[in-house]
Amino acid sequence: MSRFWKWTLGSVVGLLVIAFAGLSFMAGSPKDVYGLVRYALPHMHRGKLHVGEDAPDVKLLALDGSSRFHLRERTGSRPLVVIFGSYT
Amino acid sequence: MVKIYSDYKDRADFLTVYVREAHPTDEWQMKSNVKEDVCYAQPKTLEQRVAIAKDFVERQKYPLPFGIDDMNNAADLAYSAWPERLYVIDERGHIAYAGGIGPFKYDPQEVRAWLTKRFGPVTQTSPTVTPSAPTGSAQPGGPATAALPAATPATADGTR
Repeated sequence: MSRFWKWTLGSVVGLLVIAFAGLSFMAGSPKDVYGLVRYALPHMHRGKLHVGEDAPDVKLLALDGSSRFHLRERTGSRPLVVIFGSYT
Repeated sequence: MVKIYSDYKDRADFLTVYVREAHPTDEWQMKSNVKEDVCYAQPKTLEQRVAIAKDFVERQKYPLPFGIDDMNNAADLAYSAWPERLYVIDERGHIAYAGGIGPFKYDPQEVRAWLTKRFGPVTQTSPTVTPSAPTGSAQPGGPATAALPAATPATADGTR
């Protein structure tokens, strides 16, 4: 391997190590970097709904675990603020 | 969001939609989840999902109207909801505000700004609802913990 390629390879590996260390610091730990790449990155491009578009209707389950309702049943008379999330 | 709900619930409707977990124990669990004892595996059945939603509402004394996404994750897919996201839908059924992906672009103050622009500022200051302990703080790369708003009352007004 020529000196040029050794330096190139070394630089790339060095940059990757620095990037990984930086991400680990930002995310909290190396394990979180894996979580970031595995679970979060695939979702970063999502979010295709824009202002002015029709709000999709979806069927939801009520907290009682049995009755269901449509999200759009809650719209019409007043603005509806929708908060999506989970517990963790 | 709880404070915003408290301020504007007489003028706008609110709906919280519980979607699949962001940091379950069998996927990307975070230390803060353990610290706050918010440890759940990703639900495999609707019953499990309902149970976690109920836990959340009861433990956080969460006052907002609530719905649960089905196991086909229809709401998540339609609204790109995971891990957390905010919308306002106007009376005609159109998207009036579309928030960014949480946690970094999850900004309840943008919703408040929308409501303020529409209805004017609310001067009421008495906190009618006090969410219980937060389950964590935002972490890079992920929705940290407690994507649902009441669980992260990191600011004085109960919003994040």
